[in-house]
Amino acid sequence: MAFREYKVGARMFGLALGTSMFITLYMPSLDMGSVAATASAMERQLGFGRVGGFSYEDPFLQGWAKPVTVDIDKDPKTGAPIEPTRAYVYEANVPFPNGIRHPRILGKASEALSETKGHVTEADESHGAVFVVRETTQNGVSVPYIENVTATKGWAPADTIAVSSDSARSYIGKGKIMFVREGCWWCHTLLPEQTQDWQYFGAPPMLGDFNGESPTAFGSDRKAPDLTHVGSRNSSREWMNLHFFNPRLVQPHSIMPRYDYLWGDKDANGKPIDYDAWRTAYNDYESGKTVYPPEVPLPAADSEARALIDFIINLK
Amino acid sequence: MFKYLFAKAEDIPAGSAAVYFGFSSIVWFVIGTGIGSFNAAKLAFPDFVTGSEILSFGHMRQVHVLAVILGWISMAFAMAMMYITPALGNTKLWSEKLGVWNCLLWNVGLSLGLFLLWLGITSGREYSDLPWFIDLVVVFGLLLPLGINVWMTIKTRRTQGIYTTNWFFGAATFMVIIVFLVGNAPEFFQLTGLTEAYMTWWFAHNVLGLWITPVAAAISYYIVPKVTGNPLYSHRIGHLHFWSVVVFYSTPAAHHLMSAPLPEWLKSFASVEGVLILVPAIAFVSNLLLTMTGKWRMFVENIEIKFTITGVMMAIPLNLQGGFQQTRAINWYIHGTGWIVAHAHLALLGFSTFLEAAAVYYGLQTLLRRKLYSLGLANFHFWMLLIGFSTYWISMTIAGLIQGAGKIYEVPYIDVVIAEHPYMIARWVGGTMVFLGNCVWLFNMWKTARAGTVIPAGRLPHELAYER
Amino acid sequence: MGWRFDNPLGTLTTDDQNARAKKLWNEEALGAITEDNNRLPQPIIGLLVLTIVTAFLITFPLWGQRPNAAMFEPYIELMDAPEIQGKSDDEAMAFIVAQVKASGNEWLPKLERHPVEMDDLRLIRDQVIELKNKGVDLREYNIVGNKVVLANFEGNKRPDGTVERIQPWWDKGYTIDIFFIIFFCLGVMIAVKRLPEYDWQPTHGDH
Repeated sequence: MAFREYKVGARMFGLALGTSMFITLYMPSLDMGSVAATASAMERQLGFGRVGGFSYEDPFLQGWAKPVTVDIDKDPKTGAPIEPTRAYVYEANVPFPNGIRHPRILGKASEALSETKGHVTEADESHGAVFVVRETTQNGVSVPYIENVTATKGWAPADTIAVSSDSARSYIGKGKIMFVREGCWWCHTLLPEQTQDWQYFGAPPMLGDFNGESPTAFGSDRKAPDLTHVGSRNSSREWMNLHFFNPRLVQPHSIMPRYDYLWGDKDANGKPIDYDAWRTAYNDYESGKTVYPPEVPLPAADSEARALIDFIINLK
Repeated sequence: MFKYLFAKAEDIPAGSAAVYFGFSSIVWFVIGTGIGSFNAAKLAFPDFVTGSEILSFGHMRQVHVLAVILGWISMAFAMAMMYITPALGNTKLWSEKLGVWNCLLWNVGLSLGLFLLWLGITSGREYSDLPWFIDLVVVFGLLLPLGINVWMTIKTRRTQGIYTTNWFFGAATFMVIIVFLVGNAPEFFQLTGLTEAYMTWWFAHNVLGLWITPVAAAISYYIVPKVTGNPLYSHRIGHLHFWSVVVFYSTPAAHHLMSAPLPEWLKSFASVEGVLILVPAIAFVSNLLLTMTGKWRMFVENIEIKFTITGVMMAIPLNLQGGFQQTRAINWYIHGTGWIVAHAHLALLGFSTFLEAAAVYYGLQTLLRRKLYSLGLANFHFWMLLIGFSTYWISMTIAGLIQGAGKIYEVPYIDVVIAEHPYMIARWVGGTMVFLGNCVWLFNMWKTARAGTVIPAGRLPHELAYER
Repeated sequence: MGWRFDNPLGTLTTDDQNARAKKLWNEEALGAITEDNNRLPQPIIGLLVLTIVTAFLITFPLWGQRPNAAMFEPYIELMDAPEIQGKSDDEAMAFIVAQVKASGNEWLPKLERHPVEMDDLRLIRDQVIELKNKGVDLREYNIVGNKVVLANFEGNKRPDGTVERIQPWWDKGYTIDIFFIIFFCLGVMIAVKRLPEYDWQPTHGDH
């Protein structure tokens, strides 16, 4: 390339950019693509569903077409008592998570087991299915896989939901949508760091902990505590209720916004929520006119607040 | 503007597209910084405008970020490209009509995208928050038409040579399209897990490194020689700058995830490359400051040079921060704290905004053939930006160091929040100063278009005296 | 594309090609803007070399590392020492720390940054001993609260395909960096040296 030899320059530019993309995109993709999903990754994606952001099935981020997570101790088909089991219920036309829809996400051993022992390839989105995460030992190593219990045990999605009580249902998939839509991750990270801060916020994740999940919503600007393991630190629904409705009720110095609007129009008892009256009463309490703050309504089972709390509490 | 959409090409006055882009960019700057000031108020006073979903922080934050990046900065870039590229080729813009359409599409597409984001319709990926169909609008409605205009103008130039600024313009428009298409691949192709997280930061890093930084630098490569009348100090350093941007700025994406479980070799690679962004920075700053030789009076007297050189000087702390804060040695302390927020604003509101403001000041005067309405207001704008930004940067840097200490010594988080509170108020004050300064700027430029002194043919705006 | 190699520090281009370049450079103004042919100032070259060296030095993982299990192994071994039986926890801990310090342990700087108490040691003791009996590399394990867990580093690959859970001091990332930088320097040097030599300056016609 001499003075004003632009053809040579253009080729050198292509070579430089191409090499850069080869090193930064292609080479790491080999390493990241070869990592097997952990049990945690399977639990996460089964709970969250296909996408945690904008998608065809949920274009307005309302939490439509998301799985329901249920903790059951009865066989939904026979009614016989079983070991406490966490099942992920995909009702008809709820898209399956990426580990089931796409190959090369779970890792070779887990993918093979999920097909042979777990029968996941027999699951059909148009009818729905119920999944659980299992582990088995292969060559002395524990390998997690996904089991389609609709195929193996005949648990129908509707029956599985029916045998669980309301408090055993977690709307984690819808809750993740709320977490993303409401921008929780602008302040609360989902990534304990590799250095010191993890004594406080828990163990940092492993590479395979996210296979199949999208978006990971790590966040980058931590203005508030990391939430990756928040469910292990604090699993009180009462506290969460107060905190989401008005964080200053439980933490006077919090700078978190109020998320009272996620309660919707009616509370858990079907009573309309009078926000104006609540705020007036709260202002009286804050200015010292009254001794006690107003009661915080319980969120309805189909409210967005309930789903968000389910999501948060299940971040273990 | 609308009358030119279907006009014959020869009926559209040269420079129309640049003027529309210029005013659009100022309006978006006012909107973007206004939302920024509103958001900062919420961080300082959490019960300021409360209980409304649409006005909550989580819905407004990304609107601020993208209004500033795609509205203010990128439209100012488009404006600069549409008058600088032809000027450097002694020719006209390849298609003024495409430029006018591009400006309309840009405003419409961006408004639509930001409206959806505002409602919470997001991909949940920082910086590439827009859902994938809006990403396609950005690529094919905003960036590709701009790129075609720039490439074709360079191709149909009436000089043999291409000036350094145009190397950057031509290459950066190409690279930003690649970055948008590849960086949003996780959404187009449903990539998941850490691949998705890494690609998110590959996008975020490269949209900064291959679009904002080089184009902002390229603008000053034009403004400084043009206004001072000095030749560019060195064509050779121009080579070093251009090639090091392509080579070193496109590679450190992984340094944004130093605390994630990415392969360690990728972090080592990215971290070394990350320090090497100092190579283009050193080349850029030395070339521009040496070009100023003998004309330093203009740093005080001339508003465009004042903005440009301030921006160039801000590249020094910007790149020292950017180069070193991503290394393992430092990143563990300040990662995820307000320090990074301060750094991001040093890049976009400090370094880059000052360079683009100069281009918009200079371009609008040249294209409208009107002298700037008021130097006093322009200086007021300059100082509001500089003092407002500095207040913001200093307060957020201190807040970041507090957060870092809190993180390392595992202080209960709420104590960090309490300790940060005064700096959150200072940040809001600084941001609001920037917003008010921009309102004044919009007024000044509007009056310039209406009531500025007419510049006689053959003269340049900075050769005329100010009347106010 | 004429090349010459007899004057590599001056120019790599033949005289006739340089003559054409100089003529063009002198006569052409790009939108009334011209460029000079100044060399890269020597202090700047020094700064660039310093940047490249610093980039490697500062990237080696010397700071900000978290406590691993290997660090506390000598402490845990000393927990059974006869000298500390019957002493209070604080005295015992002081004894252990002094002993380890005196024996010149490789982890001393890190141990100073991560002081522990006897109760902390009791929580991890059995887990560390169990791992030791398994024969694993204790450096690959970290202390999280009261648990000893596998670190999440994706370090170098071992021959059998498993990954070392240690931040490596050298890996292929650095190797790629070295080649990348060499190719960059070569490319830019060739591009710059293909210009007319730097002691020639254009006069820019009448501009």
